[in-house]
Amino acid sequence: MIEVRGLTKLYGSLMAVDDLSFAVAPGEVLGLVGPNGAGKTTTLRSLVGIIRPTRGSIRIGGVDLEHDPVEAKRQLAFMPDEPRLFDYLTVEEHLRFTARLYGVRDADERITALLRELDLGEKTGALPDELSRGMKQKLAIACGLLHEPTALLFDEPLTGLDPAGMRRMKHTIVERARQGAAVILSSHLLQLVEEVCTRVLVIHRGRLVAIGTIAEIVASRPDLQGRSLEEIFLALTGT
Amino acid sequence: MIGSAIYLARRSLVNGIKRRVRRLRQPKYLLGFAVGLLYYYYFFLRPRGQTVSAVPGSSAEGVAIIGLATLVALGWLFGSSRSPLVYTPAETHFLFTAPLTRRQVLDFKLLRSQLALCLSSLLSVVLFSGGHFPPTRILRVLGLWLVFAALQMHSGVTALVRQSLEEHGITAVRRRLGAFVLVGAIVATAAFALRGRFDLLQAAFAESTTLGFETLTALLKSGVLGVLTWPLAALVRPALSPDLATFVERLPAALLIVAVHYVWLIRSSIAFEEVAVESAERMAVRIAAWRSGRRPPPLAGPAKRARAPLTRLAATGSPWRAIAWKNLQAEWRGSGVRLPVIIAVGVIGLAWVASLGESRGTGLGMLAVMFLMLGGMTVVFGPYGLRNDLRSDLQLWDLLKSYPVRGAELVAGEALGPVTVLSAIWWMCLAAAFAASLAVDVPGLSVSERVAAMLAGAIAAPGLLAITTLIQNAAVLFFPAWISVGPARAAGVEMIGQRLVTMVGSQVLLVVALIPAVVVGMVAVAAGGLAHITGVWLAVPGAFALAVTLAFEARLAVTWLGRKFERMDPAAEIGG
Repeated sequence: MIEVRGLTKLYGSLMAVDDLSFAVAPGEVLGLVGPNGAGKTTTLRSLVGIIRPTRGSIRIGGVDLEHDPVEAKRQLAFMPDEPRLFDYLTVEEHLRFTARLYGVRDADERITALLRELDLGEKTGALPDELSRGMKQKLAIACGLLHEPTALLFDEPLTGLDPAGMRRMKHTIVERARQGAAVILSSHLLQLVEEVCTRVLVIHRGRLVAIGTIAEIVASRPDLQGRSLEEIFLALTGT
Repeated sequence: MIGSAIYLARRSLVNGIKRRVRRLRQPKYLLGFAVGLLYYYYFFLRPRGQTVSAVPGSSAEGVAIIGLATLVALGWLFGSSRSPLVYTPAETHFLFTAPLTRRQVLDFKLLRSQLALCLSSLLSVVLFSGGHFPPTRILRVLGLWLVFAALQMHSGVTALVRQSLEEHGITAVRRRLGAFVLVGAIVATAAFALRGRFDLLQAAFAESTTLGFETLTALLKSGVLGVLTWPLAALVRPALSPDLATFVERLPAALLIVAVHYVWLIRSSIAFEEVAVESAERMAVRIAAWRSGRRPPPLAGPAKRARAPLTRLAATGSPWRAIAWKNLQAEWRGSGVRLPVIIAVGVIGLAWVASLGESRGTGLGMLAVMFLMLGGMTVVFGPYGLRNDLRSDLQLWDLLKSYPVRGAELVAGEALGPVTVLSAIWWMCLAAAFAASLAVDVPGLSVSERVAAMLAGAIAAPGLLAITTLIQNAAVLFFPAWISVGPARAAGVEMIGQRLVTMVGSQVLLVVALIPAVVVGMVAVAAGGLAHITGVWLAVPGAFALAVTLAFEARLAVTWLGRKFERMDPAAEIGG
């Protein structure tokens, strides 16, 4: 469960996120959409504990991120648009390193299973430089899933992936939600959002513009009836 | 083409200056700029009598030839396959898609780079002018410009040859072997030409340095050596001209060398285009990564193979140890082929030093001193050079902050990596110096006392290293915009000033941290005296007390920096 109340982030006088409140239940995939500069990345980074909100509270699995960040982060996984890897750790060492940081007890078994599941078995001794873009993405996913998080956050998850990689990524997102994780997916790809997400949160200039299923959003705005998601998005954000 | 290149260079220069001037409105840049200006003025521009040169004017040519030959040889032996003529993404986009021939594209790039080379030669001359800049110094600037231009093209050719060999599947070892054979053949030819004259050279240097250099220059100008070194001599002579007439007389030969390099580079241009575009693509990825606050991929072309790990990380245990282990791995694997080469060269060198002197003890004594000097340099300068801690990892700050690890644990783990490596080097140097000293009779320092001195040094250094490393990490946490994070190095007077301010601040902090530790150490020495410990052995309790105090300070610093890390938002701070 991810609960956000009154999230506000100020950079000097610039209001990046303004009083944002929402919740994501286990098994739910929330699509976070908005034009460039709307505050999506700031929201995601606040949710992961990368940046501190100016105001508001964030609870991950009932744990307040501000008061107990270590315990809250233990339940989280963040998948950025570009895989963040260490230059001098091999595939297997990345997983062992992550296991140590997250306190995974049965790490050896999980690492073996994940390497097999993601077809990384033959690359265990390779450094990131020796991996293709897709392989790096797989490794980043493996690191994210190793500790079996209950809250997953994806930032533009399909960036740079080939069709097979895209399919695999979508499967990962849906599968984790099916297993009971609360998922937030930030993307400009409305088709992806429509395909994968159970609800959509539209954000514009840091403020929440609409939230709900597409049917609920259309019901609250009868003038959007019969329009495509792209048209709905453009109408809501005035872009 | 020439007009376009000049326009681009001119506008880029003007806009760059405007941007820097605008940046001076921010106090941190203004302070850095003021300090940087003072630094340049005090050390380079302030009038202070005649310049002092270790090399007499009449022998400068010989020294310059040897210097150039060394540069060229090092380029072929250890240079990278990355061309110095790297195209920016914008240049690639505009030039390679424009209706221009390859030669025109290369001309454009070469022309554009001339402004930077000219400024470099001007700065080089001004910086070593001792505050005096008579009109004839312009000739030196022009001459140096020719040298830089030829060297730039030579590096370009070297990179292209290397790239071409890589593409043909020639491994790095075989490429280096080829270069070694080539350079070795030239050195052997030179040695053969000098046979029978070494005694003459040795006698000349024994009499006086001036005579030694003069003899060396004369030898370099004569016979086979004269033929071998002619291209280098032709290139450096205009820069060493005393007057305009000599300069004009020497200019055609230097221009010929530059022209030969130009033609050589043009001939290599088939591979050149591919290399240039590939470099531009890599640079575009890096720039995009920097702009979005992410870590850029490394510039090196071929992928690195993973060296076997130093130790295997256990699947369970404390996170800070895992972070320290990660940094040790980075140091171990990041050193590439340099580490084995350094070790091999070091062992050969040490064996040679040990065999010096009439008796065995003379060489070993020198060896002991060398190890102590190396160890001392490791302790004093190591924390500034070894940056596999927050100074490197802050590029991945978003990843670090997403870990369920307390800030203090993270900072401790980060700092522990370099401290472990540097402590290990220091201990090894100390042990080697002690072992070598056993063959020497040091007056006033018995073997037992040497043991005491070694123990004291071994105990005290890690604390000092920890404090120095933590100060550097504190600097990057508190002033992320002032410290270079990762491999990037910002340029400019204000950046020099910022580095100076940071350096001075670090030294002040170090002194402040050392004062209580030294006081406690002295109390321990006094207490040791009361306990009837005498002589050098008193240093052991002193070092122990010093180390404990520094460890306590380090613990406090880690907690403090951990809190700072948890609160910081580098994107906001660096963005300023």
